[in-house]
Amino acid sequence: MKVHTRHPTRRGFLKGSGALSFALLATGSAAVLPSATEAQPLPDGRVTAWVTITPDNRMTIMFGSAEMGQGVSTSLPMIVAEELDADWSTVASEQVSTDPEGVYGNPMAGGILFAAGSSSVEGYFTYLRQAGAQARQILIRIAGAHWGVPPEEVTTRQSTVLHEPTGAVMTYGEVAALPDPVWPSGEMPQAELKLRADWSIMGTDVERLDIPGKTTGAPVYSIDVEVPDMLHGALLLSPVEGETPTLNSDTDARAVDGVVDVIVMDHAVAVLARSYTAALAGRDALDVRWTETSPFRKANSADELAALAAAADDMSADAVVWESRGGDQAAFSSADVVTGTYTTEHVYHAQMEPLNAVASVDADGMGAEIWLGTQSQTASIMIAAAVLGTTPDRIRFHAMQMGGAFGRRTVFAREQMRDALLLSKAAGRPVKLVWTREDDVKNGWLRPATVQRLDAALDAEGYPTALRHRIASPSIFQFAMPDRWNPETRRDLLVMEGAESSDYDFGTFQAEHVLVPRRSRLSAWRGIGWAPNCFARECFMDELAERAGIDPVSYRRRLLAGSPRALAVLDAAVAMSDFGNPPEGRAHGIAFAGYKKTLATGVAEVSYEGERLRVHRFWTAIDPGIVIHPQAYRAQVEGGILFGLSSVLRERSTFTKGQIDQSNFYDYEPIRISDIPEIEVRFVESGEAPSGGGEIGVPMTAPAISNAVRRLTGESQRRLPFVTGS
Amino acid sequence: MVTLNVNGRTVDVNAAPDTPLLWALRDELKLKGTRYGCGAGMCGACTVHIDGQATFSCQMTIGDAAGAEITTIEGLSETGDHRVQQAWIAEQVPQCGYCQSGQIMRAAALLANNPRPSRQEIVDEMSANLCRCGTYPRIIRAIERAAQEG
Ligand code: FES
Ligand code: FES
Repeated sequence: MKVHTRHPTRRGFLKGSGALSFALLATGSAAVLPSATEAQPLPDGRVTAWVTITPDNRMTIMFGSAEMGQGVSTSLPMIVAEELDADWSTVASEQVSTDPEGVYGNPMAGGILFAAGSSSVEGYFTYLRQAGAQARQILIRIAGAHWGVPPEEVTTRQSTVLHEPTGAVMTYGEVAALPDPVWPSGEMPQAELKLRADWSIMGTDVERLDIPGKTTGAPVYSIDVEVPDMLHGALLLSPVEGETPTLNSDTDARAVDGVVDVIVMDHAVAVLARSYTAALAGRDALDVRWTETSPFRKANSADELAALAAAADDMSADAVVWESRGGDQAAFSSADVVTGTYTTEHVYHAQMEPLNAVASVDADGMGAEIWLGTQSQTASIMIAAAVLGTTPDRIRFHAMQMGGAFGRRTVFAREQMRDALLLSKAAGRPVKLVWTREDDVKNGWLRPATVQRLDAALDAEGYPTALRHRIASPSIFQFAMPDRWNPETRRDLLVMEGAESSDYDFGTFQAEHVLVPRRSRLSAWRGIGWAPNCFARECFMDELAERAGIDPVSYRRRLLAGSPRALAVLDAAVAMSDFGNPPEGRAHGIAFAGYKKTLATGVAEVSYEGERLRVHRFWTAIDPGIVIHPQAYRAQVEGGILFGLSSVLRERSTFTKGQIDQSNFYDYEPIRISDIPEIEVRFVESGEAPSGGGEIGVPMTAPAISNAVRRLTGESQRRLPFVTGS
Repeated sequence: MVTLNVNGRTVDVNAAPDTPLLWALRDELKLKGTRYGCGAGMCGACTVHIDGQATFSCQMTIGDAAGAEITTIEGLSETGDHRVQQAWIAEQVPQCGYCQSGQIMRAAALLANNPRPSRQEIVDEMSANLCRCGTYPRIIRAIERAAQEG
C-alpha cells in the first residue's frame, strides 16, 4: 500500500476551499484531495472527500456501512480519528451514500457498501487504521515543509502538529488554513500504526455522535423525506405472492379528496395522493380482483412445519453437507445413538419504521434521485439502475438513517424502491411510498422455519463420539439472491452458518442441510443461522449432559477443551452468574454460542409466575476481540438478548393459503419493557482483532432460557417460540 | 380546516376533522419527530402530550384534539435539554432512534405526573411503547436518573 500525494503545482484548491480534504483511494491509501476545480464532482454535485479539516479545526469523517442503530456512525470514525491523532471533540461523521470510485466498501463484503452480519467494524478495522495513519503522515509532511524541518521530527497530539526542537505548534485547522502549503511529493512507505497502549479514542466510551439528535426527534428517516411536488403512495398489494390485479373500479378511489392517480402494477394497485391519509382512503375504496391462481394459495405454515419434520427424519432425503470432520459415518448406525429434534417457527423483523422509499425519476426516465434506508447502498443503486434500464451513474442516492433493519433492509427490501421508481416514472412526479404496518407484517420476508435433528453416538461416559446436526429448512439464499445462488453446491450460509460447531470436539461431526421448497418469502433475521442452529445444539448439549449425569458446565468444558477462548467465556459466565445457585423457586440455564469469530456464553435465571415464564436475570461473558466502543457494543448485546428473548416468548408468523395471518403489533407483538430481565454483560479480552456485536446477543439467549426451564420444570422446551411461553 | 394549539402556537390545519393527529402533525405541520409505527395504538412511536397526558396521536383525530394543548417532541424543550432528554444522553439510550421521541414523551409525562416513580410504575407506564432495538434497560435507568436529578 502506497501513499499517493499530489505534486505541489496542483495545490490550488486549498486556497479556494479553505479546507484540507483527504480522499480514500481504491488501493486503500489516503491522499490529499485534488483541487475542487480539477476533481470530478459526483452526480450529486459533491466531491468525494473522506476526511475534511476546516480552519476552525473541526473534522468531518465520512463512513461506509450504514447506521441502523448499531453505532457505526461513531465506531468507524473512531478508528480513523485514533490513527489521525484527532481531538475527538472536534469530530463529526457522515454516512456515504454512493461509492462510484469503490473506496468505501466493506472489505469483508466484497468491497461493496453493505451493513449486515455484524461485519462493519470487523471488516473496516485494518483498512481504516492504515488510511487514517497515512492521512496523519500527510499532515506531518505539510507541517514539516512549512516549518522547514524534517518530518521525522514532527509529531502529533490531539489534532495538533508539533515540532519539539523549535517549539513550533499548529492545530490541524491551522494546517488546513495554510495559504500556500507545500504538499509532500513522492511516495511514502506504509504508515506505522499506533500501539494499543497509546490509544486514546478506541476502546473508550466517547458519546455516540448520533444520540443527541435522537433525543429531539431530529433524525430524518426516509419516511420523513419531503420533496417538492411529491405525491404520497399507498399500495393495495397482492394478498398472495405472484398474483396480478384486475381493476374492477377505481371510481370511488378517485373520488376521494386528494387522490391524484390510481396506477395498476403487476403485483399491486397504487393510489397516489396529495397526502398519505388520502392515499389510504383511496386504497380502501378500490375494487380489485386478483388472479387467484398462485401456487402459494396452497401454502400453509402448519403444513410446512410438518414437511420439515418429515424431511429431518427421512434419512434418504437429499442432504447438502455443510461441514464434515472425522469420517466415521457408520457411528450413526450403532445402537447407542441419542436423538433430539428442535423446531423454530417463522418470525418477522418488526423494525419500528415500516418499509418505505422516496423516488424522483428524471424526465427522460433514465435517471433518478432516491432516498432509502438500506443496509446496502451499492446493491440498492444497482437494483435501481436495473429497474430503469439505466447505468448506476444516473442514480443519485441518499442513504438514510434506518428505523431498525435486523436483516430486512439488505437486498430483502428491494420491492419498495422498485415500486417507488415505477410510480414516480408513471406519475412524472416524486413519490413517497409507505407501507402501513399491516403491509409490513403481511408482506414480511420471514426467517424460515427449521426443524433440526441432532443424533449423537455416545461413549460409555456419555460424551459424543460422533454428532450429526441435520437442518431441514427452505433456502433463504436461493430465494433472496437467485443470481448468486449456486445450484451445484447449494450452500446456504444464511441458513447453515452456526451449525459448524467449530469450537466443539465431537469426534466425527457432520452438519447438513435438507432443502425443502419454500412456502413464503424469506430473509435473514438478526442472529441469522446462528440463532436457530445454536438453539438446537445447545439444548441438545444440556440434554446429553443430563443423560450422562454430568453438570452442563463440566460437560461442555470437556467438549470445548480445544478452544481456550470458548473456555474463557464459559468460565467467566459461570463465575459472574454464580451458576447453579439460583434463589429459591428459580433455575439457571447456560448456553455457549458464537457468532462468527465472536464467542459468548449466556446464563438465564427463570421462574414461572403461574403460567407466565419470567426471565429475571441474564448474564453474558463475551469475547469480541478488541472493542472499539464498549458502550455501543453493550447496547448491541442487550438488544440482541432481548431479540432472542422475544423469539422465546411469543414471536411467530403463521400463514394460511399463502396469506400471513398476523396484521399488526396486536397479533405480532415483540416483547415489551415489562418482559425484560436484568442484563449483565462482561467482556473477556483475548486481544483478537474486532469481531461483530450486532448478532451475538441472539444465539445464546433462547437455549440458555430453554435449559433453565428444563431444570425448573423437568420438561424440555424444544420449540421457538416456547409452547407455554407467555 | 381545524385550528390546533401545538407547542404553544395556534395553527390552522387544512385537513378534515377526522384526520388522525399523527398525520396532521407529520404531513401538514411538518413536525416529523412524531413517528408512525403501527397506527393502531400498539407501539407508542406517535406519543405526544395532550394537556400534559401521554397520548397516541395515531388514535386521536384533529377534530378531537382541537382546543387541547398539544406538545410534540419538538416542543418538549427549546434546546433539547429537558431533564429526560439529558438523562437519555447520559444513559446513551437510543439505538436506531425511531421509537425514542415517543419514549421520551411518555417518560416526560410520567415524571410530570409522578416525580418519583417506583421501578414498577416505570415499567407499567412504559409498557405502552415498543422498542424493537431493545433499549428498554437503558430507558428504565434514564427515567430513574431523571427522577433523581429532577
Ligand atoms: S403509531 Fe400510534 S401507537 Fe403505534
Ligand atoms: S431505538 Fe430502535 S426501536 Fe427503539
